Amino acid sequence: MANAIERVIEIREKALGEIKEAENLEGLTAIKNIYLAKKSELTALMGLMKELRAEEKGSFGKAINDTKAAIQEAWAKKAAEMEKRKLQAQLEKETIDISLPGETANVGHINPYYVIIDEVSDIFAGMGFEIVEGRDVETDHYNFELLNVPQDHPARDMQDTFYISETELLRTQTSAAQAHTMLSKGGTEPIKMICPGKTYRRDEDDMTHSHQFSQIEGLVVAPGVSLADLKGTLELFVKKMFGEKREVRFRSSFFPFTEPSVEVDASCSNCGGKGCNMCKGTGWIEIGGAGEVHPNVLRMCGYNPDEYSGFAFGVGVERIAMLRFGIDDIRRFYTNDIRFIKDFNAK
Amino acid sequence: MKISLNWLNQFVKIDDITPEELADKLTFAGIEIEEITKLARGTNLTIGHIIECENHPDSDHLHVLKVDEGQYGIHQIVCGAPNARKGLKVIVAREGAVLPEITIVKSTIRGVESDGMCCALYELGVDKKYLTEKQCAGIEELPEDAPVGIDNPLSYLGIDDVILEPNILANRSDMNAMESVALEVGALLDREVKFPTYKVENKFKSEYTVASETSKCPEFGMREIKGIKTKPSPKWMQNILTSEGVRSINNVVDIGNYVMLLTGQPLNMYDADKLPVKNLTVRDDIEGDFVAMDDKTYALQKGDLLVTSDGRGMCLGGIMTSKECEVDENTTHVLLEAAWFNPASVRRTSNRLGLVSESSSRFVKGINPDQNEYVMEITCALLKELCEATEVSETVHYDTLNHDKKYVETSLTYINNRLGTSFSMDEVVEVLRRDHLEPVVNGDTIKVGIPHNRIDLNEPCDVSEEVIRLLGFNNIKSSMPIVQVKGGYTVKQSNKRAIRRYLRNQGLYECLTYSLVDEKHKDAFAYIDTNENYRLLNPMTSDKEYLRKNTLWSLLNVATYNVAHQEKNLALFEVSDVDSVGKQGTQLSIVLVGNDKVRGSLEEKPYSFYHAKGLVDAILALLGIKENRYKYVRLVSDKEEFHPGRSASLYIGKDLVAVLGELHPNALKELGLGKVAVAASINLDYLLNVKTSMDKASVPPKFPSVSRDLALVLDKKVSYEEIKNEIKKTDKLVENVEAFDVYEGEHVGFGKKSLAITISLRDKEKTLTDAEVNVVINKVIAALKMKFLAEVRS
Repeated sequence: MANAIERVIEIREKALGEIKEAENLEGLTAIKNIYLAKKSELTALMGLMKELRAEEKGSFGKAINDTKAAIQEAWAKKAAEMEKRKLQAQLEKETIDISLPGETANVGHINPYYVIIDEVSDIFAGMGFEIVEGRDVETDHYNFELLNVPQDHPARDMQDTFYISETELLRTQTSAAQAHTMLSKGGTEPIKMICPGKTYRRDEDDMTHSHQFSQIEGLVVAPGVSLADLKGTLELFVKKMFGEKREVRFRSSFFPFTEPSVEVDASCSNCGGKGCNMCKGTGWIEIGGAGEVHPNVLRMCGYNPDEYSGFAFGVGVERIAMLRFGIDDIRRFYTNDIRFIKDFNAK
Repeated sequence: MKISLNWLNQFVKIDDITPEELADKLTFAGIEIEEITKLARGTNLTIGHIIECENHPDSDHLHVLKVDEGQYGIHQIVCGAPNARKGLKVIVAREGAVLPEITIVKSTIRGVESDGMCCALYELGVDKKYLTEKQCAGIEELPEDAPVGIDNPLSYLGIDDVILEPNILANRSDMNAMESVALEVGALLDREVKFPTYKVENKFKSEYTVASETSKCPEFGMREIKGIKTKPSPKWMQNILTSEGVRSINNVVDIGNYVMLLTGQPLNMYDADKLPVKNLTVRDDIEGDFVAMDDKTYALQKGDLLVTSDGRGMCLGGIMTSKECEVDENTTHVLLEAAWFNPASVRRTSNRLGLVSESSSRFVKGINPDQNEYVMEITCALLKELCEATEVSETVHYDTLNHDKKYVETSLTYINNRLGTSFSMDEVVEVLRRDHLEPVVNGDTIKVGIPHNRIDLNEPCDVSEEVIRLLGFNNIKSSMPIVQVKGGYTVKQSNKRAIRRYLRNQGLYECLTYSLVDEKHKDAFAYIDTNENYRLLNPMTSDKEYLRKNTLWSLLNVATYNVAHQEKNLALFEVSDVDSVGKQGTQLSIVLVGNDKVRGSLEEKPYSFYHAKGLVDAILALLGIKENRYKYVRLVSDKEEFHPGRSASLYIGKDLVAVLGELHPNALKELGLGKVAVAASINLDYLLNVKTSMDKASVPPKFPSVSRDLALVLDKKVSYEEIKNEIKKTDKLVENVEAFDVYEGEHVGFGKKSLAITISLRDKEKTLTDAEVNVVINKVIAALKMKFLAEVRS
């Protein structure tokens, strides 16, 4: 009996020692197979039980069970340690250079022309305006006649307009969309629309001129629409486009299709109105033309000028973009140098 | 027309406000002043008397002068002007004088001390174009009685003028007359405007007659003047002309120009003795050559207005006199013409002949038709005063115009409603009175009389503009229009936006290109729209002669530009409206060049047909157009634009909605685009109009699907689509077929390819057993073997 107990202690010491010394999971597994398997020596020693006296059985059994438990515990602890170390080694091995480029999550860029077109459209759509899409090819009837520019008016000279035939031309102003819209509404429906689009004039291309450029036309027609409504609308537009503090002023001007006609200035967004290079020291920047729709235009387009009145305005897309982004040359819009476009991000 | 402030001040007092202040007022009232210039300027100037003139000892052209400058003493001045001589009175710039170009300091010129400078007018800033040859070649010669030593010689000479340069808008042609400018300034400043009165007594009855045979000249007035003498104009008139930028010629010509500048009415003078008969008749039915006073011959056409005498052209109406009856220095007997010619007619003739004169441009802009008599009276009075005219005739008049004063009736309510203001009747009446409109009030009604010079005022809305431009646009408060319309974006507009945004999010750059192209490329890449191009009647250059019907060519050129600027990889797109004869559309073009950078330069993948196809598929999906509605077929074209083996046409039903693919090697070469470029041209308008059903939720399947992989070795020409369709047809349990590998090369032999696919099967009612799956797969294999001679390696 004493020998047997000694043997249990021996096994315990040996097993714990081997577990401690084990260097890898294979070794550890081998240890488990030796000491904790069904056919281990400890299990065999259990067989001696029946030869023991009753009072000895209890303590012997306990010794074996305690030993088993101790080995089991030591083994599990060691195994967990090793598992952890192995995982750590794996993670270390898998470590990468996080400074290398990521998967290309593409960010495309946008010609600044569209930034303005989209933003202006959003602002006016938000104010409940319809967005009307005109066509580049127009008739002189819509481009001139219905806008109070009669035959033989100098503005209709071949020198300034690209003609396709006697009566067809490339529109020189998005105002052509005014007449289309009014005629399509039949003289009774109120109108609130903008029309962004391309326009063409026989200008030599240089830093500030382009044979192709773009405008955004606006038109509101309803009973009682006044110049004050024009001012309020443009003020709201200018604040959204150029900043909350911007203001609007009118200067007297002339367009055949509006009366009174005005040039619209916005207070300079660069200097806030103090005067700088951008506004040539005046504190104001011209952003477009506008006015009360001429009664002749309303009449020709089917609206009774005694009942209806309206305002119209037009702004140059490239001009606004040039002011907003500090673009030096109108030709850049049409060259599409991607090093230029790269600077612009769309929402 | 330049606004000379010295001249203007003769009619309305303005010398107590600054030019800047006046310019500002005019600008806000619609007469934009673009520039303010001083005619002549310089400090420390005086008038000197040359009392000695010796040759410079060390120069063959310099003089050494002793100049008496009165209160400033006598100074020695070295002067290079050839006309410097003893006894001459000159403008002297004293030490410290600041002139437009230089500052005067005491100096030594070739060993001789010089203290000051004798000045030519151009050295004081007067543009040489207003000066005579003599004035440009030497110092200014002052009259003998010029007061020596005075402090303001420029004022003494009447050249201390300030000039405002207005940008005159089309409605205010009256601003081409100083009298109208004075009336406008009077209205703006609320000041009295006064013009001198001219009256010629004892007029005789002329034997000459006038007539017009065309409605384009409804009024023609003529006066006969005898005994005129040609000589230089007086200084006061020369100064005004200089300020106005008109060169002084002689008294007769100068009077014509002066009166035109004053009243806006172009005048014409004929040498009466050179006319073939004693009649002037305006006609517009003459063809042939016309020799004008500029010595050039012009070919007349029917419709050109011509003042004739005995059927011969004496003057191209409103444009230029003939050589034949030109007034010269020997002329003593003159016919003076003041007429009204149709603006459009003058413009057409003037444009066609490329002949523009001060007179013609005034007729084109429109002149006051109601002042002929007045204008001729002024002219004749001046001819008597300055040209010693002995006799002046009464007016011989052809006149069919109605010269009654025009009246416009409006109301305070109309004006305030239009402007959105709340002006009182008193305010409005007061400003209309200032504006010379003589308002008469009756209740709410205001009746105004239109002054003859304001040909722009015709309707109540014009009167509302007068009120606000004179009272100031700052009187307008802001309000918002209350207009109920169904606004905002349409579905099509939102979808177009979504597609553009999607493409940018795929890394594509959104571009903008010109609509005009050259003849050679008007049909380039035109598949979507094959109608005829619009062609310009009047292109500016041959490379912009046609309106494009396809945007892809332009976008490819953007790629060319950028490749030439060292950009290797490009992904571009443009959405644009396109017009052709009888067709309107919206196109989307896509161009991909070089590599798709998957992970920077670490992982790159050359763009291929499949990139374009992927984008097109995505756009269709985005619009809710289901796969079963469209079909790709190989693009068949005899144009060498797309690679015949790597391009496709996309059809919805029978409609071609897109072409896409890699470019043909020859196109790549022409465009300078390297090895591979991929392009797509899409009929966006069509796609945006495709009707699609609303998205609907579907219940996820209850039973799992089973997949099997097959590797097929096939003839290279058998398409994936054929295989896919065949498999799908085999059994209704086939849910999906997907390719996961394609291989061509030595392992499968020449003309063959290997295609690896995954077939997914699902029964909606139960879980499939292996046996059931095998039955289907075997059926598939059998079908592929039979139909495509496929070798199957599972």
